[in-house]
Amino acid sequence: MSEVPGVATARLWAASRFPYLASAVFGVQPREAPGVGTVAVDESWRLWVDAEVSAGWSPAQFGSVLVHHVCHLLRAHAERARAAAVPEDAAGTTPGSAGVVGTVGYDPGQRSRSVRWIWCADAEINDDLVPAGLQLPGEPVLPRHLGHQPGRLAEQYYAAEARPGRRPDGWDLDCGSGADGCCRTWETRPGTEPGLQPWQARLLCRLAAQEILRHAREIGTVPAGLARWASALLEPKVDWRRALAAEVRKAVADVTGAVDYSYRRPSRRATVTGDVVLPALRRPVPEVAVVCDTSGSMTDDLLAASLAEVDGLLRALGLTRRLRVIACDTAAAVAKRVTSARQVELTGGGGTNMGAGIAAAAALRPRPAITVVLTDGLTPWPDAAPPGMKVVVGLLGSGPGDQPPEPPAWARAIQVPAHD
Amino acid sequence: MAHHRTVTTASDALGIAVAARVPVLLWGAPGTGKTATIRAMAAALGWPCETVIASIREPSDFAGLPIVVDGDVRFAPPGWARRLASAGCGLLFLDELSTAPPAVQAALLRVVLERVVGDLALPDSIAVVAAANPPEQAADGWDLSAPLANRLCHLVWDIDPRVVADGLAGGFTAPVVPELPDGWAGDQGLAQALVGAFLQVRPALACAPPSDATTAGRGWPSPRTWEMAARLWAASGAAGAGSETRSVLVAGAVGDGAAAEFLAWMQEMDLPDPEAVLADPGSFALPHRSDRAYAAVAAVAAVVAARPTPERWAAGWRVLGIAARRAPDVAAVGARTLARCRPDGVQLPAEVRLFAPVLREAGLLRG
Repeated sequence: MSEVPGVATARLWAASRFPYLASAVFGVQPREAPGVGTVAVDESWRLWVDAEVSAGWSPAQFGSVLVHHVCHLLRAHAERARAAAVPEDAAGTTPGSAGVVGTVGYDPGQRSRSVRWIWCADAEINDDLVPAGLQLPGEPVLPRHLGHQPGRLAEQYYAAEARPGRRPDGWDLDCGSGADGCCRTWETRPGTEPGLQPWQARLLCRLAAQEILRHAREIGTVPAGLARWASALLEPKVDWRRALAAEVRKAVADVTGAVDYSYRRPSRRATVTGDVVLPALRRPVPEVAVVCDTSGSMTDDLLAASLAEVDGLLRALGLTRRLRVIACDTAAAVAKRVTSARQVELTGGGGTNMGAGIAAAAALRPRPAITVVLTDGLTPWPDAAPPGMKVVVGLLGSGPGDQPPEPPAWARAIQVPAHD
Repeated sequence: MAHHRTVTTASDALGIAVAARVPVLLWGAPGTGKTATIRAMAAALGWPCETVIASIREPSDFAGLPIVVDGDVRFAPPGWARRLASAGCGLLFLDELSTAPPAVQAALLRVVLERVVGDLALPDSIAVVAAANPPEQAADGWDLSAPLANRLCHLVWDIDPRVVADGLAGGFTAPVVPELPDGWAGDQGLAQALVGAFLQVRPALACAPPSDATTAGRGWPSPRTWEMAARLWAASGAAGAGSETRSVLVAGAVGDGAAAEFLAWMQEMDLPDPEAVLADPGSFALPHRSDRAYAAVAAVAAVVAARPTPERWAAGWRVLGIAARRAPDVAAVGARTLARCRPDGVQLPAEVRLFAPVLREAGLLRG
């Protein structure tokens, strides 16, 4: 099944030391690629092995390279490189045919951008796998080599223009297009068998994530970074901006969607129907109010960000002229009509009671049909919904650690995390 | 895997959905050529194409305009519906679906699935295709209502820069609507049985309405969408579509999560039943792909470890012996599991010797 020399023992080592990655490790399809001067992966899970390079490695080292490459694929580094607009190399994509570790001829000037991305991706993988027992050949790329704290993402290392002070042994090995998304010449050689289809690769990633979480639950020794990746893949977090926008849009649609037939005006189609009197459609334009928590526990940045989202959304729905904002702590301040988020002054301080803010919104004339409440959640809530009014709550700055009181069941609540 | 849902795959999927007469909805940013593609497709087939922009219509344009004929109120269909009905074939293209106000979306429910406009039933050969901009990109967009979303196969129309470059240079190619062979409706029964067997295992996925407003406007699993998925599965199989296209079609009907579960289950179906293998170890055939081989061997080792009687344990080793001929490393992983659950007082089987060299070489065995 694996005629490529050294792969069988390497896979066995990897599957035994990292049992939660076994499915992914066996999912890699090895291909012999003499003269490429490295062991590399591509996005269809093919592993290109230059036997001259891998012959110098122990099973543990080769197995570690396998695990490392699998992590490039699981963490979708190629796709993320494209999303981060990492430029493709102009020249020197084919490393020299020297085929000996450390002597591959990269021109740092020409290849620095792409190589730099691979280093950043390597640092993201290695920072918790090396402590877990990865034995890579040469010196592994770690965040501290790039002058960074561990535990961040490749994009963060890359954006910070992280550059190593020196280039240790083994750093010139090319991880392949599975790490940076730039197609290598050996992948397009005629007559090469295709690897996994994209949907098969997606299924394999999900399977690996399920195994990682099961291992973490039952046996309990999974590097934290991998466990985080797995739970993010299986339980994707919805961007709070999308969630907030969808809830506000839904509230607006529910109110305006209550389209009524009215006989106050004749239908514009009445001329063709003779004796039948048709009703016209009327579509109410909803009044919207925003209640902002201005107590001492709120942070300005988050409030401004949420308010800007709501503002932009209502502008897109054509409702901006009707937006009214109420600043609220223990007693609601006077409602002010504003046209943009910048005009809101956070006047309050001290304690919070959102009930007062909602009551103030209900007292506005004309009465708002939709009220958006932006708060940190550390507030008492009214027992019953205000009659005839939809309420959408944005809970700002709440993380998994905080335990603010549950928002009432009659309102739709969106968590807006402090860091995202 | 950014290339997995490019226009090419979506375009193949669109062709198959039209061939199977499943109502389909293209989601894409304004200006990405959805309308041009659909018109080109109709032109290539020689079909009449009626474009109806849903956002500037009233509910009565789809439910029929009431008129009095001899004291009866009839619901008169609009001209585009009459033209399609008299042509006998054609493509109804509903543009700007997500900017249609909720009342119009409600009126569209019967048109999309049952092809009924007012009192007029359109022939079954009419294909319904819709296009929409995601609400966050449309100036005045609404999220699609969950009942309307549940009647459509959702395809994501992501733009591929290379296709644009080729198209500007040499003209855009219309999606090909494959000619389905006569017997494909028979395959549909098979596909439905397959989906039915899956839902027996995962009953929670038979009907899972979306719980929040964000996901309500896309495909979600319900009996109707599973039937749609079975139809698309049969049609794409009959058309010889690639497996990527088939996965996009299933995901378009029932949503990404349910589709991933279904496809994973389909892969599991290819694996031998571990209990049957233990009953007759000689029949074991190792799957070709090494991750499938690992899954098969791990499943056998796991059922032995769950109930390690001496007979089952010995049968497990015979299975590993067969696996070791082609994939010693895969078998060795199973051997480590079996070695840990050795029943008391049982002799080590002869197969153990097969694994010693590879385990020693990998540094996992001392001595």
